[in-house]
Amino acid sequence: MKPFDYMQPKDIAEASAAWASYGASARLLAGGTDLSVALRHGKIATDLVIDLKGVVELQPDISESSGHLRISAGTTMTGLIAYLGAHGLFPSLVDAACVVGSIQIRNRATLAGNICNASPAADTVPVLAALDAFVEIYGPDGLRYRPVAAFIQGNRQIDLGTGELVAAVHIPLPLGKQGCAFDRITRRRGVDLATTNMGCLISGAGAVTLAFGAVSPRPLVLHDESGILGDPMAKAQDRAPVIEALTAQARPISDVRANADYRSAMLSVMAERSLAKAHARMAGGAAHA
Amino acid sequence: MPDTFHPHIAGPDRFGVTKTVRTIVNGVPVTKDTAAHTSLLDFLRDALELTGAKECCAVGECGACTVIMEGAPVNACLLLAVEAEGKAIETVEGLSSGGQLGTVQHSFLKCGGVQCGFCIPGMVMSAEALHRDNPDADETEIREALSGNLCRCGGYNRMFDAMRDAAGQDTHLTTTEPVTGKTIGANISRLGGVERVNGRQDFIADIDVAGMAHVKLVSLDTGRARIKRIDASAARAVPGVIDIVTAADLPDPMPRFGPAYRDRPVIAVGETRYHGEPVAAVVAESKDIAAYAASLVQVEFEALPAVTSIEAALAKDAPLVQDPAMREGDALADTNILKTMAWEWGDVDGVKADLVVDNTYTFPMVTHFAIEPHGFIVDAANDRLKIWSPVQHPFLLQKIMAQMFDLPLSDVQVLSPDPGGGFGGKQMPKFEPLLAYMSRKIGRPCRLILTLEETFQAVRRAGAKVHIRSGFSKDGDILFHDIRSDYQIGAYVDIAERVTTKGNYLACGPYRVPNARINARGIFSHTPPSTAFRGFGTPQVNWAVESQVNAAARQLGLDGFAIRMRNVSDKGDQVVPGDVPADGHWPQSVQKAADLLGWDKPKLPDRGRGIAVGIKAGATTGLSNSTVRLLADGSIILFAGTSDMGQGARTIFAQIAGDALGAPYDRVSVVMGDTSAVPFDLQTSASRSTVFMGTAITRACADIHAQVIELASNRLGVDECDLRVADGKIHLPDGPVPIFDFVQNMLSNWNGELIGHGRMSKPTDPDHPLGGTPAFFEFNCTAFEVSVDTQTGEVMIHRHVTVGDVGTALNPLQVEMQDEGAAIMGLGHALYEQILMDDDGRIRNLGAIDYRIVTSKDMPARLITGMVENADGPGPKGAKGVSEGAILCTAPALAAAVTDATGVAIRDLPLTPERIWRALQTQIDTEERGT
Ligand code: FES
Ligand code: FES
Repeated sequence: MKPFDYMQPKDIAEASAAWASYGASARLLAGGTDLSVALRHGKIATDLVIDLKGVVELQPDISESSGHLRISAGTTMTGLIAYLGAHGLFPSLVDAACVVGSIQIRNRATLAGNICNASPAADTVPVLAALDAFVEIYGPDGLRYRPVAAFIQGNRQIDLGTGELVAAVHIPLPLGKQGCAFDRITRRRGVDLATTNMGCLISGAGAVTLAFGAVSPRPLVLHDESGILGDPMAKAQDRAPVIEALTAQARPISDVRANADYRSAMLSVMAERSLAKAHARMAGGAAHA
Repeated sequence: MPDTFHPHIAGPDRFGVTKTVRTIVNGVPVTKDTAAHTSLLDFLRDALELTGAKECCAVGECGACTVIMEGAPVNACLLLAVEAEGKAIETVEGLSSGGQLGTVQHSFLKCGGVQCGFCIPGMVMSAEALHRDNPDADETEIREALSGNLCRCGGYNRMFDAMRDAAGQDTHLTTTEPVTGKTIGANISRLGGVERVNGRQDFIADIDVAGMAHVKLVSLDTGRARIKRIDASAARAVPGVIDIVTAADLPDPMPRFGPAYRDRPVIAVGETRYHGEPVAAVVAESKDIAAYAASLVQVEFEALPAVTSIEAALAKDAPLVQDPAMREGDALADTNILKTMAWEWGDVDGVKADLVVDNTYTFPMVTHFAIEPHGFIVDAANDRLKIWSPVQHPFLLQKIMAQMFDLPLSDVQVLSPDPGGGFGGKQMPKFEPLLAYMSRKIGRPCRLILTLEETFQAVRRAGAKVHIRSGFSKDGDILFHDIRSDYQIGAYVDIAERVTTKGNYLACGPYRVPNARINARGIFSHTPPSTAFRGFGTPQVNWAVESQVNAAARQLGLDGFAIRMRNVSDKGDQVVPGDVPADGHWPQSVQKAADLLGWDKPKLPDRGRGIAVGIKAGATTGLSNSTVRLLADGSIILFAGTSDMGQGARTIFAQIAGDALGAPYDRVSVVMGDTSAVPFDLQTSASRSTVFMGTAITRACADIHAQVIELASNRLGVDECDLRVADGKIHLPDGPVPIFDFVQNMLSNWNGELIGHGRMSKPTDPDHPLGGTPAFFEFNCTAFEVSVDTQTGEVMIHRHVTVGDVGTALNPLQVEMQDEGAAIMGLGHALYEQILMDDDGRIRNLGAIDYRIVTSKDMPARLITGMVENADGPGPKGAKGVSEGAILCTAPALAAAVTDATGVAIRDLPLTPERIWRALQTQIDTEERGT
């Protein structure tokens, strides 16, 4: 590994200024669970690591305000899981966060980092995309907001300009009942990167969003126009062609984890399973679930 | 202190950017300088000398580096030391700071959770965090909490037990109290276990040799290539780099070595033959400097076509892996075939069968994945060689090094720290010769610890393609097998010829097979050398043969149990005609496995059951020596050249000697791992140690018995004929006295000691295809009950049963632990494991992220281990070797259960969800092409 320097800015302005002045020769460090692997394996080299964990504005914090849940960039998966569990919020995000690595990883990895790493297989990303989550970006010109699905521009590519950093993730709080679910396919039950994964959301009005991961460089967000998927009474044989038509838009690749046709086939399997779960959650009905 | 600059060396003070870290480690405030890029793990291990936490994968997958930071377990390999600023860190050393083991540590030891111990410091930290947080965790929570920690030695089930034990739900397996009286047959806790749970056990990477320099290998990002030019100037310019060695710096012609064929070059010369074969090596003042400088070595190369599969290697005009000039006089020199071997009995072509089953099966290349990566230290000072290597065969390494460097054996000392898991991967020399040259060149000890990725590239198991035609009577009698086995070996032979021979010689399995023809070949390929691996060459061919038996059973309307009871050899029955017959009542094991599974119980409609058997030949030749010293106070020092890599040899040896000399178990110390101190032992392989070394120790103790009698006769004036020794006691005219007490009386003034020598040898039989008859067979029967998610192809294992024919279990808990370890490793082979290559001969899934092994969450819902004991083995008290049996037939038993559940038969491993799904899609159930 090429040696590098390290700084721990105290506030977000300092972090942004440093990031702006070092640019491509620096890397931002949040939980570090992906960055250290890449550095160690020489996949990336850097002169400077800017550790965001000392930044006062980014300290772990989850709050509800103006219809959103705001999750600060310093919030770890473990912290997120505990909060959502205690408040009965977004069980799909709990399920996704619970399979990000092992406990040791989740104690370090952050939700914002999982997004910014922009791995197509990231487990929280399709869930966030389905929930219409967006990131709060701090930069020299102030704050801006981008939907998660648009913020990720490709494999390992994100929409961050000079000096910009993700300050928080926002998820719209449901107004009434909604049903959400997460599902994934892996090679084994223990810690594994997803072969494919997805998030699903059924709104109170019955609108259905399906978001798939690991089938394209960016999360693939699909909306059901037919209304069939949102109908808990719909028959399986009516759902199948709708799901088929939607998932046909996916363009998965073959890699070391799976072949493309297996990935494709798993999309409808996951869609069926997560729709069933989301409908059940909706019916089970904690207001936010 | 490794990995820091040595003050006497001129040069930069520090590599990288210096930062100061203030943390609290195990309650003690620490302020220390470190480089900004240093991981917390390196900081703890190198700067603070807290070597409890281990490095294996370095990517956050294995958990060997787990420490608790601010109350939460984290991977120390993924943190920078500077991130620990102001934080409280607990390491395994902190759990037993007062010298007392913590609750969880104690439970791990007591419940049999500890084998080689390399994973344990990390595992214990995860367990400790769970225990504090949620002491009454249920099994699901326990599986989750431990799933970030890999163990390759056992099933994780003993660790689940340990968590329950720590919670006060007494599971009582072993006693960790001092033991008095006989220990054989009891669940004695492991000798060396305490050091393994408290982090004090020194593995190779924990050893610091004064003045040592650090080596990093340079290899190419391709498989086969012609090396055109190596430019090391940028690397040399890095301060702290001592030297860089390429083929040009080594003798010409390049020295080569190997256990059977001397074909492996010390470093690649002219051409690389597999992905990862080193072309240069950098030696520097620290491992960081060496690694960085290695990344700056520029190698100009031309990629050459590589053969990475059996088909490609056998294709017409395939590039030759080995230069025909190196195979002078070998009729196969212009092919990629190493050797062909053939055995035949009966009349395969003459027999009329009611059913003939004809199929081809494949078994992929897999890797050992011991949690401890390979490591080596060599000091070539004073024209001697002092070698630290966690090698399974220290005396073989000694011999090979003495030959290469033209030194007397007495000037080559091999110190072998206990391997952190071996499984065959640590049998043969690898980079010891390179380090010896480098150490000579720079005049300092050289140390090389491989990464896990490099470890994958060092050795592996042979893949196989087996074509087999089998004939059966309509009642299910096996009439013939006609087997053609190709084993995919690597670019250099290593021990692969013997693997191929030994596996295929017994290809027909533990059955009475009246007619057989076996043709086997070893096929070179541009892949890392294939070496010994638990089960040696048997799992590959047994996958095919047992799957055939299951296929026949299905077609004949028999079940897997019935067809085996019909054909499996019983004691005294023929296995290979003319060779030793079956040495156990094997049908008893089959019956027991069926009973433990509930074979005859009704099953749920979505469930499938499968069963299979396997045998492996134990050691065929050997020589083990032991010296036992009975000291004046009755305590014992025992010397044995065996390596304890987690199988627990040290424990068994102490039990044998303690019982024979009437001494409490805790008064026996065992010395291993130093060729200058212990007498010759051929090797630690083929599950031989209990039988071979155990017998040598028994004989050494008998030698002492004779001396005890002589002593008693002299001192007490009793005729020797009126004295005898039995059960660790000397029987004097007025009654028996434990030898332990007797020598205290007799030797205390004199303060001498009695020294016994013992030996077991099984000489080579040049006429036997294996060089000798098997000393014993390892027989196993494995059975599964599974269900399959037909949409995804995922397998759920409800029951996994394994039963071994063990002769006598000298330590039943250890026997079970070894059996479970083999079973779960077999499960990994069956479900997930495979080395995947790309067209350029690169391994695509190097390292822990994409090479999957079993985690705690993948454990079967129930793993049940049974054993059959008839005291019919050649070892002490009738023991046989164990530790490989359960891996022999895991895959065919599992595959049969999958077929039973789904109707599809799969003949390629591993049974990944995708593969099962694909089979279900196409219903390629064309297998049963009966005639
Ligand atoms: S997780 Fe740190 S070494 Fe494997
Ligand atoms: S005891 Fe776990 S890896 Fe050896």
